[in-house]
Amino acid sequence: MNATKNNPAKQTLGEDEIALYDRQIRLWGLEAQTNIRSARVLLINVGAIGTEITKNIVLSGVGHFSILDNNHVVTEEDLGSQFFLTSADVGKPRIDTIKDKIVDLNPRVNFSIETDTFENLISKNNSNYDIVIGTELTKDQIIQLNWWTRSNNTPLYVAGSNGLFGYIFVDLIQFDSRDKKLQSIKQSALGSISPNKEIVSLEVTIDPEEPKKIYENLVTKNKYVPFEKLLCTATLEGKLTKRQLKRVSPILPLTLTYLKDTNMVSSNVSLFREELENTCEQLRIDPNLILKPEYVEQFIKQNGVEFSPVAAVLGGAVSQDVINILGKKQQPLNNFIIFDGVTLDMPIFEF
Amino acid sequence: MARESSLITIIGEDGYARIRQTKCLLVGAGGIGSELLKDLILMEFGEIHIVDLDTIDLSNLNRQFLFRQRDIKQPKSTTAVKAVQSFSNSKLVPYQGNIMDTTQFPLHWFKQFNIIFNALDNLAARRYVNKISQFLSLPLLESGTAGFDGYIQPIFPQKTECFDCTKKETPKTFPVCTIRSTPSQPIHCIVWAKNFLFNQLFTDEDNKSDDEENKEWGTTDETEIKRIKQETNELKSLQKIILDKDFDRIPYILQKLFIDDIAKLLLIENLWKNRVKPLLLDESIIKNNCHDAKEKISSNKVWDINYIIQNFVAATKKLSQRMEREGSHIEFDKDDEDTLMFVAMAANIRAYIFHIPMKSVFDIKQIAGNIIPAIATTNAIIAGLSAITSLRVLNLLDKFASLNDVTKLNMAFTAMASNMTTNRYLSNPQVAPPNCKCPVCVQVVRGVVQTSEKLNASTTLKDLISLLKTKYGYQENDDVSILDIKDQRLLFDFDFDDLNDQTLEDLKFINGTIILLSDDSDNDLIKKPVELYFNINNNVDKIVLPDLHIPVIEQKIPQDNNEENEVLTVAENGEIDQDVYIIDGDESVSTVDNNDKKRPREKEDLEEIIQIAKAPKTS
Ligand SMILES: [Zn+2]
Repeated sequence: MNATKNNPAKQTLGEDEIALYDRQIRLWGLEAQTNIRSARVLLINVGAIGTEITKNIVLSGVGHFSILDNNHVVTEEDLGSQFFLTSADVGKPRIDTIKDKIVDLNPRVNFSIETDTFENLISKNNSNYDIVIGTELTKDQIIQLNWWTRSNNTPLYVAGSNGLFGYIFVDLIQFDSRDKKLQSIKQSALGSISPNKEIVSLEVTIDPEEPKKIYENLVTKNKYVPFEKLLCTATLEGKLTKRQLKRVSPILPLTLTYLKDTNMVSSNVSLFREELENTCEQLRIDPNLILKPEYVEQFIKQNGVEFSPVAAVLGGAVSQDVINILGKKQQPLNNFIIFDGVTLDMPIFEF
Repeated sequence: MARESSLITIIGEDGYARIRQTKCLLVGAGGIGSELLKDLILMEFGEIHIVDLDTIDLSNLNRQFLFRQRDIKQPKSTTAVKAVQSFSNSKLVPYQGNIMDTTQFPLHWFKQFNIIFNALDNLAARRYVNKISQFLSLPLLESGTAGFDGYIQPIFPQKTECFDCTKKETPKTFPVCTIRSTPSQPIHCIVWAKNFLFNQLFTDEDNKSDDEENKEWGTTDETEIKRIKQETNELKSLQKIILDKDFDRIPYILQKLFIDDIAKLLLIENLWKNRVKPLLLDESIIKNNCHDAKEKISSNKVWDINYIIQNFVAATKKLSQRMEREGSHIEFDKDDEDTLMFVAMAANIRAYIFHIPMKSVFDIKQIAGNIIPAIATTNAIIAGLSAITSLRVLNLLDKFASLNDVTKLNMAFTAMASNMTTNRYLSNPQVAPPNCKCPVCVQVVRGVVQTSEKLNASTTLKDLISLLKTKYGYQENDDVSILDIKDQRLLFDFDFDDLNDQTLEDLKFINGTIILLSDDSDNDLIKKPVELYFNINNNVDKIVLPDLHIPVIEQKIPQDNNEENEVLTVAENGEIDQDVYIIDGDESVSTVDNNDKKRPREKEDLEEIIQIAKAPKTS
C-alpha cells in the first residue's frame, strides 16, 4: 500500500526545518523527512500510551496529526501517567485541556481534534488518514476499527497495557519494505523467510568508497492478518522448536486471552482463567509449564492499570514504526508484540 | 481513585511509601534525561536531582520534548525542571554543572542518593560516574542511544559488571601517510582538512609539528617522510598570508596546497605504483573563482568544484579577518559556520584531485563534528526501560519478582531496530558478574582519604608516600608509583622523585583528587593497586588514610601499546564505524529466553555513548 495516499504536492524542506530536524534527517534522510511531513496520522484515545505517541509523532514533524478521544473526562488517576495533565484539569474533557500543549510541542505540525465519534468515524466510507493508531480499545472496537482500516486500505497500529505488561498489534494489510544491509555470512535469497515475509527482490551493490563492503538491497513483501482472524488462529505450532515452546513468555497467552474479551478479567476472573487454558491449547503450549502463577496473579491484579514508563516503551515502539513506514526505512513490525516489564522481554510473533 | 493508585497496584502501599522516600540522581537532562525525568516524576520518586552542563540548542528540539524554541541558549537542567512542574509531585533540584567537577559535586554529595541514573552523552562522564558508584557502592542505571540503537545496563557495584568491564572502542586513527600523502576515502580528506590544515593556518599552537619521531607513519619510505616534514614547515609561511590579511595571495594558498605540494608528491614514484595518481588542480579554476559566490546552493548538495573554490576563498577571508580579534587562534567548531566551511571546502578540493567522491557540507559537518543521529523514540524507549528497571534495582517488585540475586537482573538492547534479530524488539540478557580483568571494579582497591587544606599545605609528597607505605604494609625501600588519575600525571616512581619536596597543595591536590598507588617491585607477587579519593574535610587535624584490605596478586607483564604512537585521530571519537558483528545470534522465531548468558563481547562506543553493535540480520 502507499502510506501517503492523501498527500498534497510534496514540497522540499526549508533550511529552518532541516536545522530543526537535523539529528533525525541524519538518520533517515531528507526524502523520508519529506514523506513524514506530508502524512496524516489519526490517534484514537490519548491515555498514557496515546500521550507518548502524540509526543513522539508530533516531534518528528508529521504533516497532520489528529486525535479522537471519545469525550474522555480527566480523572485523578490520569494524572499519575499522563504528563500533559495537571490537577486543575480533573473533571474537564481531556482533549480540550491538552490541545494547546500539543500545538506548543511543535507548532509546525497541523494539529486537529477529530470531532466525529468513534462509531461515526468507522461507519464512513472513506478515510482522511494515511495511518490510524488506536490505544486502550476494547476487543469489539479493535475489530470494528480494523474492518474500517482494511476497507480503506489504511495501516493500523493498536497498543494497550495492563500495568507492567503490554502489547502491540500491527495490520499494514500488505507492505513492501525496502532496506539495504551489509551482506553477512548468511546471504539473503529470494523467497519466503518467515510465515508472513517473503523477499521479492534482491540486488547486490558495492560501497564505492569501501569496496570490501557489499550491500544487499532487498524488497520484502510483508503479509498481515486482521485482528479478528489473529485471535482465533494465532498458534506457535510449527513456528518454534520444542525447547523454545517451553520458554514462551506467560504474557503471550495472558494477553491473547485478555484480547479475546477485554472485559472478562474484571467481570469474571474464573472464566478468564478457564479461557487462559484454551488459549494455551490454541498456541500449542503447556499451561502448567508456561503459566507461572505469580504472573497470572499480577496480570489479573494490574488489569487496566496505566504505567508511564511502560507506556513510553510501547508508545516509542509504535511511533518508531509509524515513522519507519512513512519514511520507508527499516523493516516494519509484523505483527504481534508483547512486553514484559519485569524481565524486559519483548518478543515479536508472526501470527 | 487517586493519582498514585495505579502505581500502588504495581508496587504496593509499602513500595509507594518507599519510593516517596527515595532520592535519585539523574545525570543529564538531554535526550534520555528529559524522558527519564518525566518517567521518574510519574513514578512518584520523592526527590530527583538533575545535573546538566549544557544549554539548549535548536537541534535538540526534535527529541528533547521539555524544551521549546523560546528556551534556546537556556540551561537544560533548570529549564527542564520548570517544564515539568505542572505534573510533578516530586522535589526537584536542578544543577547547571559538570558532574566531574569535584568542587560542585564532591564525593559526599553523591552519598545522599539511593540510586544514580546516567543519561549522558560522553564516555568520560560515564566512566567517572561509574567510578563514583564503585566508590560509594551505589546502584547505577547506565543507558545510551545513537540513532535507532539503544541500551540500558543496571550496575550493582562489586556484584555485577560495571560500565568498564567491557572494552569500549577507542577512536579510529589513521597512519600519517594516508592522511598526508595517499588519501583514498572522504574521511581521510576531512581529517587532513580539519586536524592538519586548519590547525596549521588558524591556531597558534607551537607544537604543530608535534613530536614527529613518535608518529605512526604507515610507511618506511624516507623520501616520503622527509617530504611530509618539509611540507609542514612550509605551511607556516601560508599562515603569514592569513595573519597579514593578504587577500590577494589567497590564490597562492590554493596553488601551494593543491598544485605545488601535489606535484612534489607525484615525484615519489613508489607511492603511485599501485595507486591512481592525483591530478593537479587546474590553475584556471583557481583564477576564475577568486570572487565571492553569486548564488546560494543547498548545503545538502554536493557542490561543483568552481563553487567550492569560491567558498574556500570566502571562508579563508572571513577567518583571516577574525584572527586578530580572536588572538590569532580559532578552534574548529562544527557550529561555527566559517570553520566548517573552510574544512568542508578544503576536504572537497583534496577529494577532487585524488579522485575521491566529494561530500555535501551537511555530510562533512557530521563527520568532522562527530554528530551522532538522535531521535525521540529511541530515547523514550530507553528511558522507559531504565525507569522500569529501577523498580527491580530498588527491590520494589519484591512481592512477585524479588531481587535475591542481582545477577538475575536484565539489561536490554534495541535488538530489532539495530538489525540484530527480527524476532524480538529487545534483547534482554541477564547482567554478568564483574569481569575479573576489569581495571575499574576488580583490579583495584578503593578508599577515601580525609585531609584538610591546611594539611595539604604542610604535607610534602614524600611525607604522603611514607604515610601510604606504613599504612598499607610496604617496606621503606619498596618501589611504588603514584599517579594522579584525572590527568594521568605521574607524581612519583622509582626513577622520578623530582616532586618529592613539593606540598600536596603545590601539586594541586584538591577535593576530589584521585591518586593510584601501585606496587612497582619486580616480584612475581605484588600488592593490588589502591585508588584513593582525597576528600577535603577541614575538621581533621591529620591525614586519615582509610583502612583497606589489600590482597596480593600476580604481576602482569605490561604489553606494548601501539595506540599511543598513532596520531591524527578523528577528533574525540571518530567516524561511525560500520563494522559489523553479531551480538545476539538468536536462532529463529520468537522465544522467551531469560536464561541466556549470551553477552555482547565488544561493544561499539561512539561519542553519544552507544555500545550497540550494528549487526547483520540473522534470519
Ligand atoms: Zn568493572
